Amino acid sequence: MGALLSLQGIGKSYWRGDSEVRVLTDVSLEVHAGQFLAVWGPRGSGKTTLLKLSARLEYPDSGCVSFEGTDLAQLSEAGHARLMLERIGWVRRSGPKSDLRMLDYVALPLLAEHGRREAYARATAAMERVGVATHAGQHWSSLCDGERALVSIAHGIAREPRLLLIDDPTANLDVLERERVTELLRSLADDAAIAVLMAVPDMPATMRAHQLASLGGGRLVFVPEPPQRPEPELEPAKVISLRSRQQSA
Amino acid sequence: MSAKIAVLGLVIEEPGPPHRLTAKLRQRLASAEFVDSNVYSALARLERDGLVRAVERRAPGKGGARLAAVPDVDPGLRTPVRRTPGSRTESRVFEATPAGVQRFEEWLLGSSSAPPLRDELHMKVALCQPHNLPRLIELVYGQELVCLGRVQELRRVFERMQPPAPNRWSGLVLVHVRDAELSFWDARLTWLQGVRESLERMHTAYGTARQRYSEA
Repeated sequence: MGALLSLQGIGKSYWRGDSEVRVLTDVSLEVHAGQFLAVWGPRGSGKTTLLKLSARLEYPDSGCVSFEGTDLAQLSEAGHARLMLERIGWVRRSGPKSDLRMLDYVALPLLAEHGRREAYARATAAMERVGVATHAGQHWSSLCDGERALVSIAHGIAREPRLLLIDDPTANLDVLERERVTELLRSLADDAAIAVLMAVPDMPATMRAHQLASLGGGRLVFVPEPPQRPEPELEPAKVISLRSRQQSA
Repeated sequence: MSAKIAVLGLVIEEPGPPHRLTAKLRQRLASAEFVDSNVYSALARLERDGLVRAVERRAPGKGGARLAAVPDVDPGLRTPVRRTPGSRTESRVFEATPAGVQRFEEWLLGSSSAPPLRDELHMKVALCQPHNLPRLIELVYGQELVCLGRVQELRRVFERMQPPAPNRWSGLVLVHVRDAELSFWDARLTWLQGVRESLERMHTAYGTARQRYSEA
């Protein structure tokens, strides 16, 4: 089966004053349906840039980004907007700008596609899926960081995307909240076959991912698989029945 | 950290036979790379020092479970299960003595020392010269791969276990130990990537300067 998201030979640099800062050098990766890939890297290593390139929120200097086999650079603005609305979920950590109830916030992107009743039913289902249905009537400012992270994920999955892009979802979370969020992302990949591409700056947050890649110094390195130890070949056990031993005695 | 103090802590937590303590040690401190024989030798030393004692536990059956102190301790710890004529299976279970509990608490509550950083690569970085840069960059990158391989091994070890439930004490402890191990490699990798990046930048600048000098 082909990759859902494919980045091939991506290069990206920024200008800081007169000097060019190379952020990504010849980066390639593939994310498949139902795969939870964590990209780990220190702050400023280019993780957010990588996610933005994956959603064509920025353009690479070199290389190609494709989604479901379509080169994102070839998409029209309308095509790209439709892709972001239907196929790719971008999890925002900033929350709503206005003082919406959380259910309204999660339902908001659905209203463009569905009727009001359908949009709210889907939003409720998404909030129940991530375990924050009880916060439906609350406002962003009244939620703690862990609840905000979960509501953001509900907002991202409400449109049932095929790919979820999520940037540092465990920032400022305690151990319990972090485990809950990463376990949820794992279950979305395992149970709902959503491809999840997550960028995090701390290694413990990558624990529940299917695969880990390290980004630093512009290079993306996939964590090598340790050598498989061969299973020992066991000789068939010699079975001596008690009766035969008694007879021989 | 010595296996002795870790085994003492596990015995205090719950008395048990050596094989069970071995399994618990492997689960609790996965990356410490204690081998199974460490537990047996640690128990022998703890017993010699009077910090643990062996008791015999008769398998439950007619008459129920019974614990009795072993009067004369035999060092045959490698055969924890033995049969006596006409009786049920018996196994040696280790429990902590009051002196053992006191020693462990002294260790647990005492201050921990921070080890100085003296590894080989650290020294190479400290002592390298500009003409060594390409080789050093290669070495640093190699170390990054080694660290990532180690992370992957740890991920596999923890993947094989049941996911710890962090809302329970035992699960929370496991999560903290796992985080400590991963955070160590996290910090190490961050340092290595930073070193490689600055060495690469230095190498480029050094090469450009040398080229200009030769052209002049």
